[in-house]
Amino acid sequence: MGVGPSTKETTMHHFKDPLVRVFGNDPDIDFQGVIVVGTPQDNVLKNLVGQRVAKWLKAMRTNGAVLSADGWGNSDVDFMHTMECIGQENISIVGLKFIGKQATFVVTNEYTPFVLDINKSASGTETTVLGENNLDARDAQKALGLLKLKMRADQQKVD
Amino acid sequence: MADETLKIKEFVIKDVQFGPSYSLSEHKLVIPQITPETIPETFRKVNVTIIHPHHLDVATDSIMDVVPISTKVLGTLGTGVTHTLTGVSMIITGSNENGKQIHDFGSSDGTLSKQMMLNKDGTPDENDFIIMFNVVLKSQVVMDRQMMTTVFSYADDYLQPIREILKKTNGRYADYNHEYSNTVHPGKPKVVVIKQVSGQGTMYDNILFPQEPNGIKGGISIIDLNNFPVLLTPNEYRDGAIHALV
Repeated sequence: MGVGPSTKETTMHHFKDPLVRVFGNDPDIDFQGVIVVGTPQDNVLKNLVGQRVAKWLKAMRTNGAVLSADGWGNSDVDFMHTMECIGQENISIVGLKFIGKQATFVVTNEYTPFVLDINKSASGTETTVLGENNLDARDAQKALGLLKLKMRADQQKVD
Repeated sequence: MADETLKIKEFVIKDVQFGPSYSLSEHKLVIPQITPETIPETFRKVNVTIIHPHHLDVATDSIMDVVPISTKVLGTLGTGVTHTLTGVSMIITGSNENGKQIHDFGSSDGTLSKQMMLNKDGTPDENDFIIMFNVVLKSQVVMDRQMMTTVFSYADDYLQPIREILKKTNGRYADYNHEYSNTVHPGKPKVVVIKQVSGQGTMYDNILFPQEPNGIKGGISIIDLNNFPVLLTPNEYRDGAIHALV
């Protein structure tokens, strides 16, 4: 499956996660927290975990979310499905994922245009260089900016 | 409501050396070599190498993880005080005795300076010392989920004595202090970060809620949670609640 060295998120990456750093420091959003979700092998479970994420956000009255993946390939199915489930709950959703030239979507839907590419390599491929295509603070800022625009376009109501 | 402030105290390491036992003082970390008797049966050998900053032109097996060395001093996950070392981190690398690499899609074996991009959030800085923890498995050993857990737990156990010393180090002598809060901004749009992590099995796994920040022991595998979503406060996430596997 598709987790290569250049996109792999190490333990250190989670500890210093640029998404949490950027989202946690913006006074213009109310940052509720981080949901960690896995990628099951089984299709029934794949559907179920995506739905559970969406229902959880709905229950927290969340206006917008960013979904980020530590891999690509078959996990795109989980990724696009989770985006769809969240979108169907009228929650604004944007994605961050390695795409480049090698990892164009295995599956697409109406949410695909709101996925930003974190590729950094000139070749657009899995370079096997640890950390090279990792999500960084700039990607996090881009995602936050896009999410703000998306929430405005979706006319999200803040309670 | 419980105090939701997390203090991370940073101790900068400026030298790492081998010695007869673990010690930590005056910005200097001393670590012992692995004693062969403690190596699990399935391992052929374990090589611990200290790599000095700017001396990364060394051969490496596939890099499985970069692990910061941190310990919980006071409070529970996401609250209280955590001590962490900077200027040094551990990389876990591995293969079997025939040279077959422990990896998933694409192996990062080769020359370390070419196979690891420094100064990223997930990799050491250019001025950091690196403890390279290289595991060589016996050739007949199957690289399955159990095996991965053994490799990562063994590396985690190697770090634990450093954490025990760091835990008792007086926080007053920390080089840098960071304070984090789960700040709320009422009236602003509510936003959540969702991290989709690997949990398909074998090497695709992540450990949540380890006893020590960035540790393994006591943690729960996302596979054992059936990959179901788990909510973390920003501070819990900042406090090393996730350990990546391979």
